[in-house]
Amino acid sequence: MTEPILIVGGGPAGLSAAQALSAVGRNSILVEKEDRLGGAPIISGYAKLVPSDEWAKDAIGGMVSRVAESDLVDVRSGARVTEFTGAPGAFTATLSNGESCQVSAAILATGFTHFDSINKPEWGFGTYPDVVTTVQVEQMISSGKGVYCPSDGRAPERVAILLCVGSRDRQIGREWCSKICCTVSANIAMEIREQLPECSVYIYYMDIRTFGLNEIKYYWRSQEEYRVKYIKSRVAEVTSDGNRLLIKGEDTLVKRPIAIPFDMVVHAIGMDPNVENDSIAKVFGVDLQAEGNIAHQSNYGGTGVTSRPGVFVAGAAIGPETIDDSIAQGQAVAMSAMALSPLAAAAAE
Amino acid sequence: MSNSGEKFTGHGEEWRDAKLSAQDAATATSWVELKIDKRAMLTNKDRVEDVRDAMWELEKDGEIIVHRVGDQHEPVMAKTLYGWDKKIPTNQLWHHKSCGQCGNIPGYPASLLWLMNQTGTRYLDETDQTSCTAWNYHGSGIGNIVSLAAVFLRNFHQAYVSAQAEGLDPGYYYPLVHCGTSFGNYKEIRHFLMHSAELREQVRKILAKLDRLIDGKLLIPEEIVHYSEWLHVMRQRIAAKQQIDASSLRVTIHPACHVYKMVPEDVIYDDDVLDGNRVAVSTGIMQEMGTQVIDYSTWYDCCGFGFRHIISEREFTRSFAIDRKIKVAVEEAHADVMVGHDTGCITTLDKNQWIGKAVGKDYALPVMADCQMAALLCGAHPYKIVQLHWHASPFEGLMEKLGIDWQTAKAEFEAYLEDVAEGKIETLYDPKRAITSGEGYQR
Amino acid sequence: MTTSAPSNAKANATVIADPVSADAPVDREELEQIFDDISSHPRYDHELNGCLNCGICTATCPSAHYYDYSPREIVQLLWTENLEGIHDAMQEKIWACAQCYTCAARCPFGNSPGGLVMVMREVAIKHGMESAKEVLRPFSRVMLKVMSTGNQLAPNMITPDHFPDWGPNISKVEAPLNILRKAIPMPTLHTLETAWAVNLKTSIELYTIWEDSGVLDQLETMDENLFDVVVDIMDEKREDYEDWLEEQDDDDDDDDDD
Repeated sequence: MTEPILIVGGGPAGLSAAQALSAVGRNSILVEKEDRLGGAPIISGYAKLVPSDEWAKDAIGGMVSRVAESDLVDVRSGARVTEFTGAPGAFTATLSNGESCQVSAAILATGFTHFDSINKPEWGFGTYPDVVTTVQVEQMISSGKGVYCPSDGRAPERVAILLCVGSRDRQIGREWCSKICCTVSANIAMEIREQLPECSVYIYYMDIRTFGLNEIKYYWRSQEEYRVKYIKSRVAEVTSDGNRLLIKGEDTLVKRPIAIPFDMVVHAIGMDPNVENDSIAKVFGVDLQAEGNIAHQSNYGGTGVTSRPGVFVAGAAIGPETIDDSIAQGQAVAMSAMALSPLAAAAAE
Repeated sequence: MSNSGEKFTGHGEEWRDAKLSAQDAATATSWVELKIDKRAMLTNKDRVEDVRDAMWELEKDGEIIVHRVGDQHEPVMAKTLYGWDKKIPTNQLWHHKSCGQCGNIPGYPASLLWLMNQTGTRYLDETDQTSCTAWNYHGSGIGNIVSLAAVFLRNFHQAYVSAQAEGLDPGYYYPLVHCGTSFGNYKEIRHFLMHSAELREQVRKILAKLDRLIDGKLLIPEEIVHYSEWLHVMRQRIAAKQQIDASSLRVTIHPACHVYKMVPEDVIYDDDVLDGNRVAVSTGIMQEMGTQVIDYSTWYDCCGFGFRHIISEREFTRSFAIDRKIKVAVEEAHADVMVGHDTGCITTLDKNQWIGKAVGKDYALPVMADCQMAALLCGAHPYKIVQLHWHASPFEGLMEKLGIDWQTAKAEFEAYLEDVAEGKIETLYDPKRAITSGEGYQR
Repeated sequence: MTTSAPSNAKANATVIADPVSADAPVDREELEQIFDDISSHPRYDHELNGCLNCGICTATCPSAHYYDYSPREIVQLLWTENLEGIHDAMQEKIWACAQCYTCAARCPFGNSPGGLVMVMREVAIKHGMESAKEVLRPFSRVMLKVMSTGNQLAPNMITPDHFPDWGPNISKVEAPLNILRKAIPMPTLHTLETAWAVNLKTSIELYTIWEDSGVLDQLETMDENLFDVVVDIMDEKREDYEDWLEEQDDDDDDDDDD
């Protein structure tokens, strides 16, 4: 009999892998460190997803219930893998709750960590309460409370969204583009304009990367239909004059330094490597790449192949990734793991 | 600008909590699932270079010798921007003076030495030192990396050997840099030195001629330390000597660019000071001494000194100093005083206030260095020690607010000047020690 | 280094001139030499890595508020090897920079526009540009002081004559400057001619640094009169020092006789 496949992480990539394996009749064990499944979209309380416009709790929630209802998926939440030994086809995984299980392969769908804006203190987060992150705005919207200034609960009249917070910045050792923030920010800007039609929303950008069809649906539409203003500028500092927030920037296209007051400043925070990647790499014996994500080989010979045979990786564990692509990768890597395991099992005999 | 206090987010008496409910606060940060050390590189230190690693390598290779901060210097560990350690020596210090301070704001170094006397800190203030010459370089473009490096290492070599003049071992004294520009420049040059074998060779040749090598090798300091860092790690010990209550004082801090923006990874950020979100020096000691440190919107701005501007484009300097710093501190933060930690800034912010009156910008904000303020609060004489008469900004009102009788103090000082004229001079240390070689040297 | 030749007809021209400007045209060769000196400067590669044109440098630049100066423009000119633009910026713009290095502390690419300005200033001096001479003229008093004494500033330089905008009183307590200086409780500060008393040997050592690092050459290019004055002072002080050394030998001899 073929052993089940271990999936680590219950976010979009992990759920998708479990769904796929279940669909073809393969058993899997899904280990999730939180007490519930869903990953960042559920745990962090995202609102409407890009580009489907579906609420995270419906879209990802649907994936969660399909997986939970499947007889072929053995969900172990509130647990971590602490030890992983053996060879392809015959691995043993030990969990933090003391259980151990035999698996033929492993899929690491361990995701990312949101950038902590405290690492960029000159942009005011941690100093001024009305400087918030995109995740906080998502939570304001998904909770049904609407967008408000945390300092006093008022509806903001002027909002600035700063792109590339924790991305494309050598000063803090994060040179990568986080891929999703341009589109997500344009989406949030439209949500704010819809909820608060009197509120002006500005987006401060270096380049707009609403790739593919998102160009039309987010970048163009946010301007044409929602009158969101884009200023090509990375701001230097966010301060306060005691009444409002002030941001200091250069409008690089007009070439003058500017200081503009706002009620609320939103950091479009990027995607860091999972803070636990060091220990994940150690437990599973896989390499990390230079930036600290889980390293994988080129895709031409197979998807999600790590440095350790029989261990695969999918989704944002590889680097900044969208939800849709994480889902696609989860399914693709399920195929890699499944294709390998009978061969490996045969070889092992 | 009105200050209702409702939305003020500074750090003074108007400070208001954000009033997030416990649940909202938890939600806002719930995604920080593990404790992430502030500013720590998740992907480890290799991604931002620590120049000290290069120093240890070069020392191992026999290229340089590192002048260490040893136990004898009673170091206190501080945390820098990325959470790395920096060793701040607290005893046996060699004063590397600032030309602008000594020429123009002499109460600045005098207050520092006075505080050292109060805290029992041993030090040497001697004549065998030059300016770092970086003011000239940044202002005029005359000078270059080789000359700056040679000047830097010549001064630091002298700091290393200076104790021999007193019959003590080399390395007994550790250099303490008074000037912010020297501090920034030396760190920048140390970085270039560690990365260029060619530069090291050029400098080695010059220093060999001057007999300023150790065993034929360049002597590089383990830490380049600014006096404000000494003040910061000594702040509790200094506050213990405080005699004057300062709780009503509204203080604005002007942080110096060359102190915290040049080589920013080597500057102290303290979790206990402004939550580690801004440079800790000056703010730390002012808070420790019970003042109210008030935030203002142009906190990050420079002073307008400009190196050449202060000399030849003073319209820029004074406009910037008044419009973007002094005016904001007065109108927005209602400050009683602006406190800084660098030569050029104190000069610029202080001296340019007089001309402001001519154009209706009479803000009258006292400006002084953190060590001057600390000395005042510890009971130092405002004229004899803190030497406030050299300051152009009006400090008399500030004295009155602190309950210091400046008129009596001034009269005492004027009487003292008569003693001085007769040669009866009081000094902070034995003048013989100031000369360590050549004419006038006495063992 | 090589620069990509412009694709238009100008490529073969030896001079580049603005048809509507009366300014003398600058030789292409001279432009290339200037850029060569800039890009081969030891600081250059350390200070310039690329550019995202995000404008954070200009956003935070004090000089950009008051001058037609933008650190982003400086970076862009250098990165794109815009030789005419670089030459133009060296006439005035590079002297607007206040050298605060906020740009360097903020740049997400790890550039230092302020450091690049210093490289361009050094090269402007190397080429003896008129603009640099003009800009440095008011600096000569300070330059003389730092070159000859190793101190940038001296108490007797700060007078209401030189700093009329600092008010009529340099000290709020009236007394002769030498008395006020002696009333500073640090013995090293009882000086008028230098910020602190400088050991003679220290100055002599500094002169060797000036000579061997090329700083004297820079000075000679920029201001020959000042150069002559500085060299005279250097000679004089070196003689004083030699005399003192001889005296010591004599004293030692005397000691031996005892």
